[in-house]
Amino acid sequence: MEDVLVLKDYKTVPDIVHEYEPTVKFGHIPLVIDNGSYQCRVGWSINDEPHLIFKNLIARPRKDRCKKDSEPPVTPPIQIGNDIINIEAVRFQLKTQFDKNVVTHFEVQELVCDYIFSHLGLDSEGCVPHPIVMTEAFVAPNYSRQLMSELLFEGYGVPAVSYGIDSLFSFYRNQIGDSGLIINLGYHTIHIIPVIRGNVIAEHARRINLGGSEIICYLHKLLQLKYPVHVNAITMSRIEEILHEHCSIVLDYQEEIKKWANADYYDGHVKRIQLPYVQNTSSSALTAEQQKERKKEMARRLLEINARKREERLAEDEEQMNQLLAIQDLIEDGDTQEFEEAIKTFEIKSYADLQRQIANVNMRIEKNKQRIAAAANPEEVVEPRPSGRMQPPQDPVAFQTWLTETRAKYSEILSRREARRARRAAMVRRRTAAAAERMRVISRLAAAGDEFGNQDSDWDVYKSISRDADSDSDADGERIVELEEALREYEPQMPSSMHHQLHLAIEPYRAPELIFQPSMMGNLEAGLAETMEYVFKHFNAEDQLLLANNVFLTGGCSQFPGLKERLERELLEMRPFQSTHKVVTASDPSLDAWHGARDFASGNDFENCCITKENYYEMGGEYLKEHHVSNRYYRSPAPIVDNTLAPAGDANVVKEEIVVDC
Amino acid sequence: MTGDLEKTYCFKSENKFIVKSGCKKRMWRSLKQILAADRALPWPDDAVLYYSINAPPTFKPTKKYSDISGLPAPYMDRHSKLYYSNAEEFATVRNLPMDITAGYLQLRGASTIVG
Repeated sequence: MEDVLVLKDYKTVPDIVHEYEPTVKFGHIPLVIDNGSYQCRVGWSINDEPHLIFKNLIARPRKDRCKKDSEPPVTPPIQIGNDIINIEAVRFQLKTQFDKNVVTHFEVQELVCDYIFSHLGLDSEGCVPHPIVMTEAFVAPNYSRQLMSELLFEGYGVPAVSYGIDSLFSFYRNQIGDSGLIINLGYHTIHIIPVIRGNVIAEHARRINLGGSEIICYLHKLLQLKYPVHVNAITMSRIEEILHEHCSIVLDYQEEIKKWANADYYDGHVKRIQLPYVQNTSSSALTAEQQKERKKEMARRLLEINARKREERLAEDEEQMNQLLAIQDLIEDGDTQEFEEAIKTFEIKSYADLQRQIANVNMRIEKNKQRIAAAANPEEVVEPRPSGRMQPPQDPVAFQTWLTETRAKYSEILSRREARRARRAAMVRRRTAAAAERMRVISRLAAAGDEFGNQDSDWDVYKSISRDADSDSDADGERIVELEEALREYEPQMPSSMHHQLHLAIEPYRAPELIFQPSMMGNLEAGLAETMEYVFKHFNAEDQLLLANNVFLTGGCSQFPGLKERLERELLEMRPFQSTHKVVTASDPSLDAWHGARDFASGNDFENCCITKENYYEMGGEYLKEHHVSNRYYRSPAPIVDNTLAPAGDANVVKEEIVVDC
Repeated sequence: MTGDLEKTYCFKSENKFIVKSGCKKRMWRSLKQILAADRALPWPDDAVLYYSINAPPTFKPTKKYSDISGLPAPYMDRHSKLYYSNAEEFATVRNLPMDITAGYLQLRGASTIVG
């Protein structure tokens, strides 16, 4: 229970440039690209494992706009795939060529292709002399394929291309027969594809527009809302890590969440995840005692400065006094001439003025002397401790009880205040019990006779009907502040690592549950189980059994622990009584599509499944050579030219005159 | 200026879709636009297209879960429109700031632009 899970914050390692081996170079070995919306996996068809596996993302850093025109702006290099070391640093500059599970942004796709070919070490002049096997979305729009072919044939001059569906590649790779219900849980979509005796029944396949990325976003937002303090520490990549390592699908969601309502179950099963944190040093270095000491020191220094200033002023005044007295002496000696000159330098008009100035300065000196005397022996400064201040007992046991008592008092006052607030809020509104009570009191007041006011408590009535802040809450307010202070000072501090922990209760089960209940995120589509049931309904009983006995799970999201068991339970529920069913998971749900495509590329029939350059120029960009793992090709029909709406000639326009009666 | 810095690869003679920085960028159709264009075409009846395999809408009543804890939620706070499962949660819900309640509603897809 006490163990805290630590985030690993995985970093990507930049891909090396692989060697372009002569066997590959001169053998025209096909290149297999599993172009998924999450990851792209690339390798030669003669290799067992893909050479490159990277996230299908590019980061285009922003240009420095503040630079002057004189120096050319330095364009930071575009980072692609595994070049992006710290994905969070460039989160807002990320771009992908995918819109849902379909490639739409071909500039990014070209950058990714450059990355692929350059990292495979291709050095051929002017073209990529390898046939390419590329995966595409199930029933991908022709428009997307057209641009992809355009890029591959015209941009890279490849000799041939074959497109296939990732989930079908994975299905045939696992060799579990030629009939089955493929469930492909991808990054943006879930596909349910029935295959009967080697035929893909595309018209009854269904797609749920929800996948790993939506689950990640959901969990991300959920935790950010739960921990608003840690918004910045809860990053997408950390959520992805949590999803990969700690999330699972439960057998019965309703039962599971009911368990969590129990506090003991919660304590025993909650997952604590430690976020990185910095030990807070600034506040812990200075204890309250030290801060007080500092304040005292400051006050002392201020006093010193004031005293010095006063002394200086005193000396100045005494000097002036002496001069003025000297002038007075002059006139007393009868030396009028000199006196006149002297008072001119001092800007004194007459003898009376002189007398007044002397009196002034004398007074100032007296005052200063008094002040200096007062500052010299200051009264002992009493600690400004309010009388009601809480003093905890020293004994640890007594301290604990004191602490709990203080806490109880604090929460009691707090709830009292809450109740008052609620009452006041209710009073403002009409048709509440509190408002009715208030009206009753007012009407009784109006009817009250002359006795009202004989007792002091009579006046409390006004407090109870006042809509403004209660005056008697002031005492409570003071008490609250006092208790708060005491608690803050004496309550044992939690270690700061505790403040940086995420507690995951239902969340790790709630997020993947989206697969079965998209309604939790406002998606109105049916969940996985319901859609499967819907798909089954389109087949006769015999075919239904074929499908149910070979439910095949593939795609990255099928790796959630518990998914298989959950699907078995759902099948048991939806299938007829005592009918059989079986769920199979791909041996490697993420990579089997690539493996299957590689098997396909090294097969004997491969050449017949390719769109050649001649095909491309003859049939157009959207052309697709059909094979057992491809989409069906429906040539895009010419758009309807709607003549009825076409602007007709002027002659046909009938002018209508509208007469308006005035 | 920056064009010189852009990488060139021996395996391709010129860029197909990559535009030099500063030049006018090509606007790429979004999936939605592509599908809208597809819809306008007179496809044969047997054609299976991207938009025709969307999952059906759910026919089961959607279950309500507490927004803050995920527990089954029989109640809804009339004020914030959040679901909650017990009195304790209700107190929490009532004390949540506006941005958090709005965030929860948005997460559930229940936030409407109008009031």
